[in-house]
Amino acid sequence: MGVYAGPVQDLIDELGRLPGVGPKSAQRIAFHLLKVAKEDALRLSHSIAEARDRVAWCQRCFNVSEGDLCGICTDDRRDATVVCVVEEPRDLVAVEKTQEFRGRYHVLQGAISPIEGIGPDQLRVKELLGRLDGEGVTEVILCTNPNIEGEATAMYIGRLVKPLGVRVTRIASGLPVGGDLEYADELTLGRALEGRRDVD
Amino acid sequence: MRIDRLWLTDFRGYRSAEAGFGPGLTAIVGANGEGKTNLLEAVGYLATLGSFRGAPTEALVRAGADRAVVRGEGVRDGRTLLLEAEIAPGGRSRAQVNRQPLRRARDLLGAVRVTVFSPDDLALVKAGPGERRRYLDDVLVAVHPRNDELRAEVERVLRQRNALLKQAGGRVTAEIEMTLDVWDAKLTTAGEALADARRALVERLAPSLANAYAEVARRGVAVEATYAPPWRAEGLAAALVAARRDELRRGVSLVGPHRDELDLRVEGLPARTHVSQGEQRSLALALRLAAHRVVADVTGSPPVLLLDDVFSELDPDRSDALLAHLPSGQTLLSTAGSLPAGAHPEQVLRVKAGTVIADAG
Repeated sequence: MGVYAGPVQDLIDELGRLPGVGPKSAQRIAFHLLKVAKEDALRLSHSIAEARDRVAWCQRCFNVSEGDLCGICTDDRRDATVVCVVEEPRDLVAVEKTQEFRGRYHVLQGAISPIEGIGPDQLRVKELLGRLDGEGVTEVILCTNPNIEGEATAMYIGRLVKPLGVRVTRIASGLPVGGDLEYADELTLGRALEGRRDVD
Repeated sequence: MRIDRLWLTDFRGYRSAEAGFGPGLTAIVGANGEGKTNLLEAVGYLATLGSFRGAPTEALVRAGADRAVVRGEGVRDGRTLLLEAEIAPGGRSRAQVNRQPLRRARDLLGAVRVTVFSPDDLALVKAGPGERRRYLDDVLVAVHPRNDELRAEVERVLRQRNALLKQAGGRVTAEIEMTLDVWDAKLTTAGEALADARRALVERLAPSLANAYAEVARRGVAVEATYAPPWRAEGLAAALVAARRDELRRGVSLVGPHRDELDLRVEGLPARTHVSQGEQRSLALALRLAAHRVVADVTGSPPVLLLDDVFSELDPDRSDALLAHLPSGQTLLSTAGSLPAGAHPEQVLRVKAGTVIADAG
């Protein structure tokens, strides 16, 4: 039960539904929006409306996109034979920032998590399989998060794709560059040891 | 390892309190409900980031406050250690060691270790297998904090797997089978690792347990502890395949480390059902003593002993036997009644209505 006048409580409730925003933050943001100049507040609502109107999912990789295909999928300098599979568009951005990857992406829009009711059907898995033949894909890089759900998702996709004769790889997990060994947590250090390589 | 001073802010009934402990035996006395156990609970929190009474974190924060702070100053391996833990229900719990914030509060595990004896310990022997699994896993974490992550991983995989089994509702489609395969693989890796760790621990505990039982019960009888998962011979992967139809029908994970039992026997008889209550009590004490010795052995320094009102539940013979065989090291003991005859504390703390006063002398 809200204690504020109808429209104020509606605003607080809506803000409270956003990820990472609790009831107290929702209240603070709501009163901030009421306090600032009206055009500043409306700019936010306009941006939301604009984004919802103009942005959709890329028909190929399910990244956010202004047209049918996103900027990466329409860039013909990108290597179509290598596909990097990520959970969310923000993971794609993280990989892009490395400037190490010149292939295309596939955004699953989540990870397998039965607790949250997310199975392969709720993800863009079938769409990934559909791309393999048509685009002449030779390698799929599984770039899901190194947590339990991300690992399970990677394993699931790996088991589907491998029998199709496509190379499947998983990104390594290990130590942050520039860090100190002594400060690494044991799990990460253990994984780094597991994934050691021969020196050239 | 020992804790010399403890400061509490908004912890349980304490608004603000300070207590000093002796390097040997400290007795905490006071009427019931005044906060004796809460002092021990606070020391335990620094060791495990949880309540040994199984209380949720909200219960640890004083009513009306939004967070509690536990600070302890102690010595380990000849070095001073200042440990601080902030308990914020619903928020992020934080911890620091020697004023250095830890990246995760869980990194505090292992800085100080405790062995807790409580009147509820009888449940270790009498209650269902879950109590004994928890006992083993708690000792594993005390022996090595890494085991905490292993335990958490098994729990998480099981939650996901159970959710999937429930959603399947008895249907078996190719997709459900394939998703289950993935969770089976995860459960197999993590579950076998946890079971291996438990088995190695029980092998180490067993001789210690037999000795401790003989000390407490004052007679030599055969005491056995075995951890033998029924799926061990075929391996967890194969056992999961064999159990799949049953699991899908019942909608829950039926095979794995979450179903295993630590089998305890006295003179060949199952301790849970076939031995007297007195023997069960001796066995519960022996389990704690054995764990204490193994942890001291592996880590090189004895944990701090927390004896929460245990003598109220023990007959004089067992009280004396326990006191006589308490490992040397720091011991904090709480009691509502008088101290047992064999106890000679170097420090007595009186607890009343949220304040702690040290006896002069």
